[in-house]
Amino acid sequence: METLFFEYPATKTLPRRAHVGVVGSGDLEILMEPSAEARTKVTVRTSVKGFGKTWAKVLERFFTVHDVAATVKINDFGATPGVVTMRLAQALEVSQDNAILKR
Amino acid sequence: MLFLKDSFVELNARNRAKAILDQGTFREIVGPFDGLESPHLVPQGIVPQSDDGVIVARGEIEGEPAVVISIEGNFQGGGIGEVSGAKIAGALELALRDQENGIRTRPVIVFDTGGVRLQEANYGLLAIAEIGAAIVALRQYVPVVGVIPGKIGCFGGMSIAAGLCSSLIMTREGRIGLNGPEVIEQEAGIEEFDSSDRRLIWNTIGGAQRFAAGFVDELVDDDISAIKEAIHRIFRKETVGSPRSSQVDVYRSFFASIDLSQPITPNKFRELWQQHIAGKGVHSPNSLQTGMNKDDEVESRGRTWFYALAHALKINKEVPSVLCADAMLGKEEVRYIAVVPNRHHRFYRVRHGEVGIEEGWTIAKYVREVIEADQHGKKRAIVAIVDVPSQAYGYHEELFGLHQACAAAVDAYATARLAGHPVIALIVGNAISGAFLAHGLQANCILALNDDHVNIHVMSKKSAARITRRTIEELEEATKKIPAMAYDVRSFATLGALHELIDGVNADIPQVQDIDKVCNRLIEAIQTARSSPRDLRNRLASKQAQKGREASILVRKKLAEQWK
Repeated sequence: METLFFEYPATKTLPRRAHVGVVGSGDLEILMEPSAEARTKVTVRTSVKGFGKTWAKVLERFFTVHDVAATVKINDFGATPGVVTMRLAQALEVSQDNAILKR
Repeated sequence: MLFLKDSFVELNARNRAKAILDQGTFREIVGPFDGLESPHLVPQGIVPQSDDGVIVARGEIEGEPAVVISIEGNFQGGGIGEVSGAKIAGALELALRDQENGIRTRPVIVFDTGGVRLQEANYGLLAIAEIGAAIVALRQYVPVVGVIPGKIGCFGGMSIAAGLCSSLIMTREGRIGLNGPEVIEQEAGIEEFDSSDRRLIWNTIGGAQRFAAGFVDELVDDDISAIKEAIHRIFRKETVGSPRSSQVDVYRSFFASIDLSQPITPNKFRELWQQHIAGKGVHSPNSLQTGMNKDDEVESRGRTWFYALAHALKINKEVPSVLCADAMLGKEEVRYIAVVPNRHHRFYRVRHGEVGIEEGWTIAKYVREVIEADQHGKKRAIVAIVDVPSQAYGYHEELFGLHQACAAAVDAYATARLAGHPVIALIVGNAISGAFLAHGLQANCILALNDDHVNIHVMSKKSAARITRRTIEELEEATKKIPAMAYDVRSFATLGALHELIDGVNADIPQVQDIDKVCNRLIEAIQTARSSPRDLRNRLASKQAQKGREASILVRKKLAEQWK
């Protein structure tokens, strides 16, 4: 297991918290919570060691496109970059849906 | 026109819970954002999951309050660790509290689990004992419904929990058995069970076979509405028949009628069962096992201590592998039960004193005799002398429903405890896995001899290494960090479930003073049991448990706060 930390500047607050995915083979779990700070902080715990650079690229790309101030926790069980990006997008979508439901 | 089914199996655990509850009523408690993940996985280099693989959801089923407990098979094979186990047990305990307060909360458990999470070993074992205790208590008020959809199925100690449910629903894809195919192959060899033979596996323990052989109540398609309807049907019934795990006479006479001189195929087994329940079975006047001469008695600590304590004139040896006697202890009569080796046992996989089909059902019989006899009088104490190397690992055992036989024993001990009988377990040797769940873990008080050969665990090191894909060295390294993974009784004591660790006793050749000492401790334990609650809550109230099972306590506290 390896733990990685990343941080990105952000301006828009995440609408509501969101949880997606499962820590199962080739998949991952993401917890996203709104943050009061103008930053996105990501903690990754992954079962596969040595892919820090790949994680940095995948996450940087995602949070460059999506401006959300959030605390993000990722528990990974060997997901591919494609799956990671898809789950991140899903988490954003769920967050927006949750916000609509709450209204 | 083709109608596509709406798959239940393909859903994750959370969506399964949502699907079972009435639309729009799902409310998860102690969920991903409550921060209660397993504290034991990260130290072993394993990525945890925020809900520890168990979803507890409140909501409604047909407008009535309900709780759905859904196990996520994709996370660590649905293994039961300290947190996930406490979530299941705690939710069932709260459902029980509701019933006692006149609220008929409907409990549903979705089993998708390999059993105890081997990385948390004895934490899982203790939790499963508590889950079993809660199901037996809860079942008196409301049906406890189990669903086994697949793909993992339901194995290990959790298959015993499923065997205690009022009703079980299964798909063809689901499987239920005490030992998984890989474990049987590891323990008994490939000639006993070939774990790569998928057809053999499903024919033996798959949904269709289990339904035909009477081990489940409903066989349903993998379809959301079919599963919901099956659940609704069960809750709508005015009365649910007595649970399978308490039908001792039916099963004992059934197994007595089976001739084991030839291997029994799954189809043959179905046929025999159908004949039996139609009253057309062969009635064998013989007892389950052939008798033994005194010379044949294999030495074992269980036998030694049984004879030392139950110095009775009349020892029931009807089933030579399960000894039973009533004897005086101090001023009262006590029933002693021990499982011992029988080298001529017709089930060859239990000849070393393992708990098998006949052992489970016979223990249930001996315990239930006491419940019935003392129905209106003083409740006799029952002492389980524990020296069990494991449950039986064998093809016939799984085909014949070993999980159900173990559930019968669990059911009987738990029922006796709830009826007010002090149930005491005395561990004098090994107390391993499903065998210990069946014989010992339902006790009000567990006593153990403080001895190097007293071992408590969930699986042999070889099998545990194979299943968790680690070397034995790596496994031993992990036991240093997690006391629940260690095999010795002193590590087990740190979890707080022991009433007492008895020092300075010769466990192999007990002398008069050793026996006296143990008798005194038993008398004290029986008194304690009489003045204590009839459930297992004392295990978490002990001083050691405050530290040793901190997470188990915290999970229950959080569940109670969010239950409403």
